[in-house]
Amino acid sequence: MSLAEEYPEQIQKIFAKYPPDRKQSAVMPLLHLAQLGKGFVDRHDLVEIADLCGITETDVAEIVGFYTLYHDKPEGKLRIQVCTDIACALRGADEFLAQLCERLGIRPGETTPDGLVMVEAVMCLAACDKAPMFQVQGPDGISYHENMTVEKTLEFIETARKEVK
Amino acid sequence: MPVLEPIVELARGLWTTLRSMAEKPVTVQYPEQKRPVKPRFRGRHVLKRYDNGLEKCIGCALCAAACPADAIFVEASENTDEERYSPGDRYASTYEINMLRCIYCGFCEDACPTEAIVLGDNYELSFTDRREAIYPKEMLLEPVPAGGAPTPQKTEPGKFTRSVPEMKDPAD
Amino acid sequence: MTKTVTLTIDDQQVTVPEGTLIVNAAKMVGIDIPVFCYHPKMEPVGMCRQCLVEVGRPAIDRATGQPVLEDGKPKIQFGPKLETACTTPVSEGMVVLTHSEKARAAQKEILEFLLTSHPLDCPVCDKGGECPLQNLTLAYGPAESRFLYSEKHHAEKHVPLGDKIWLDRERCIQCGRCIRFQEIIAGDPVLSFYQRGRDTDIITHSDPPFDSIFSGNTTDICPVGALTTADFRFGARPWEMKAAASICSLCPVGCNLTFNTRREAKAGGKVVIKRAMPRQNEQVNEIWICDRGRFNWHYVEDPSRLTHPLVKKDGKLEKASWSAAIEAAGNQVKGNQVLVVASGRLSNEDLFNLKQLADGLGGEALLYDSLPGGELTTRYGVSAGTNLGDLGAGSAILVAAADLYHEAPIWYLRVKAAAERGANLVIVNPEATRLDKYAKKLVRCGKDEAAAKVRELAAELTAAENLVVFFGRTADRNLAEDCAALLQGREGRANNGLIGVWPRANDQGAWELGYKPVDPSTGSGQALAQAVKGKVVYLAAADPAGDDPQLAEALKGAKAVIVQELFPTKTASLADVVFPAQAFTERDGSYTSGERRVQRFYPATPPLGESRADFAIAAAVAAAAGLEVEGRSALLVMDKLAAAVPAFVGISYRKLAEVTEQWPIVGRGDLYYGGTTYENRQGLGVQLNVSTFKRSNVVRGRAL
Repeated sequence: MSLAEEYPEQIQKIFAKYPPDRKQSAVMPLLHLAQLGKGFVDRHDLVEIADLCGITETDVAEIVGFYTLYHDKPEGKLRIQVCTDIACALRGADEFLAQLCERLGIRPGETTPDGLVMVEAVMCLAACDKAPMFQVQGPDGISYHENMTVEKTLEFIETARKEVK
Repeated sequence: MPVLEPIVELARGLWTTLRSMAEKPVTVQYPEQKRPVKPRFRGRHVLKRYDNGLEKCIGCALCAAACPADAIFVEASENTDEERYSPGDRYASTYEINMLRCIYCGFCEDACPTEAIVLGDNYELSFTDRREAIYPKEMLLEPVPAGGAPTPQKTEPGKFTRSVPEMKDPAD
Repeated sequence: MTKTVTLTIDDQQVTVPEGTLIVNAAKMVGIDIPVFCYHPKMEPVGMCRQCLVEVGRPAIDRATGQPVLEDGKPKIQFGPKLETACTTPVSEGMVVLTHSEKARAAQKEILEFLLTSHPLDCPVCDKGGECPLQNLTLAYGPAESRFLYSEKHHAEKHVPLGDKIWLDRERCIQCGRCIRFQEIIAGDPVLSFYQRGRDTDIITHSDPPFDSIFSGNTTDICPVGALTTADFRFGARPWEMKAAASICSLCPVGCNLTFNTRREAKAGGKVVIKRAMPRQNEQVNEIWICDRGRFNWHYVEDPSRLTHPLVKKDGKLEKASWSAAIEAAGNQVKGNQVLVVASGRLSNEDLFNLKQLADGLGGEALLYDSLPGGELTTRYGVSAGTNLGDLGAGSAILVAAADLYHEAPIWYLRVKAAAERGANLVIVNPEATRLDKYAKKLVRCGKDEAAAKVRELAAELTAAENLVVFFGRTADRNLAEDCAALLQGREGRANNGLIGVWPRANDQGAWELGYKPVDPSTGSGQALAQAVKGKVVYLAAADPAGDDPQLAEALKGAKAVIVQELFPTKTASLADVVFPAQAFTERDGSYTSGERRVQRFYPATPPLGESRADFAIAAAVAAAAGLEVEGRSALLVMDKLAAAVPAFVGISYRKLAEVTEQWPIVGRGDLYYGGTTYENRQGLGVQLNVSTFKRSNVVRGRAL
């Protein structure tokens, strides 16, 4: 089903926010919209958004690639994005990421075999003082988890496992 | 005494002759007997293989570029996993050395990024015709080592992606 | 006059126009500042940081607004940090240090940093030997890296971006030159970055992938071996090849090429062309060529080419010696009216000699072409001093019935750029073309209405200071005349004129030499069918029988058919005598481009088999028929031609080979700066004047 069929009202609402000759401004909200249900943007969405905004498909793909909030491949239902930039690293974020991955039996950028959790390293999430921290992208949107330990994270995953299933 | 002088000289000369008859000869009975060459001897070229039989030569033609006598001619083609001659994308589909032009300077060895071309210890080159002096790849390649397979090989995709062997940290 | 600025670069005083970037100002006086992402044909982005230099400006006293003096000289204040020479425009009194200790250290460290993600597989890289990264590393880079080898970035090495261009993600240094070229210069934004930081990749999502006819140019300007062509892949190392200057034979733009050749074992020890590269001519193709020109020259090495003369014996074509074939042809033409039918694939010299043959025997010379209006372009065509690159605000460009993107891609590029500089671009075309989005006015109309629409636009167009009119593919006689009418009164003025988008490279040359048109498209070639009846027909580089079965039938009714060709065509099979011709890559000669620029091409490979140049064959046949026609060399034919045809007056091979300094500097040691485009050392060509002889013949009621 195309986006226009699925979310006709939302699309109209998004475009209403921008001047008619600046259609490409709508590309980011449209990508969020496309990601809403399935958690990633597929090739059809790219084509449709490019058509809607009057830009090329390559341009849309560039935006998907640039931002860590957009994904073009289906991965785990929960996407745990750990900031490992220098300030967080000083507070042990890279160590945290390594241990978390070890406990989950995956490598950074991989999904657990049950398809629930994906862990990846990202750039600054603007919470340097509360590292180690991560954001979770899931079906319910985005949430921040600060001052985390591996144990606390595993607990969080267990709770989420029950909720998601 | 002028009369005795020639006799003395004669005797001295004969003594030298007699002495050398008793010495160990410096010559050998070539070709039945061969003298071993020095470790850094530069003889006929050999194109080396890896242990699995793949050719080390990647057809980069740096040897041809380095050759001061313009004796080497290389032409490259593309490897596939179906028909693989060497690791990486590129292999030498033609490799010729004109042994009449070669001055055995060893620059080709120095230029080779994969240590594929090595000047061996064979110095017995003879031709009856100028054309014969051009050695093609088949003559230059060393035999497939035990446990290896001849080229082209059918290889597993994604295994031999790099032409030049992984660089080692020079600090190690 | 534009304002100039005087500054000092490395103790050298330089005066350049205001707004010039430091990197270019330095280049103009021969100082190299290393760059990767900057390209003189594109706006700077300052992404790679390779061009860091020390910049000092005269200190200004804040209280008085006057320069601070120190020992009677202005005090120069250097910034605490280095600046990128590619993004900083020059200013009065500026002092630039490109090779100071501080600048050299920064340049060295940027290179060291770029190399941490570079695979250094130079031995197998097609760019190796003409690679800016290689050259700059040797000139400015560190001998050793302080980074860990084991942390090298690994990525896919084998990504086809479309069927012509291959990407090696590991080699890419993310300079974005290819992306910017596609977006800014080609107007096909089909490449972009994906991901960021060290993972940045080049991607294309167009359908088909990398959908651009200019894709090959990205391999020229790529400063590393990330983008290479599938056609040349592993063909040879750059230093092994010889270079031969040539002119593209595929469309009337006349792009300057360089063919790289090499003796090859795969080709049985023959010298073969390995690749075609652009050669700089800022007035024709700048430093670009289209993919057709870059990849479609392979027809010259087709194995089916004719290698021996053939003479018909007992109804069958048989191999014959040259002397026998010339004699046979001479006997056929002697004392007969000869109808010469030639195509624009031939050079000026060939066409001239064939016309001599026809005129000498009281016959006629026809150009086998479907587009009318040839003689109009000889009167109203653009003349000496015209450069599409000079058109901008105040100029108007009309493109009528032509799809420049597909018919003459480099003209598309130049017209697009002119429109972006402010030229009033008007398009009258039955279907959508890629140029449409740059047009100020777009008229979509049927073939028959086009002429009327052009008349409607006349007032607007003729108001412009400069007017260039293109007409092409679907133009009819009326449209061509109406296009020409727009240019009345502008004959001989630079940057004004009529340009035919001909199907072949040298149609313009044929018109200039006085060839008459035949129209194979109207009435299924009836005009030609009528003309050949009972005549001795001499066909050169034309295959009417292959194009139209009716013409094949008509040729059977000719008294005799003589053909000179590259290939065994349908027409050749009907001939009494067939001569094998040399391809343009095997001989010298000259083409006249649609912009009426006569340009020389030079031999790249030895001729195939016994083939001979077309002008020499025509001269030999003429001699056998008792005529005196020069056929010893193309140079001598051009001398005769220049003496005989008023438009070519003063042209000689020496004149055509003259060059002047061009900007930007390309080739030589400056690969890092302009790309691997070849420097032009073999001639910029000469643009024809509209001759006074032609002017006095102007029709349509205008007497001069």
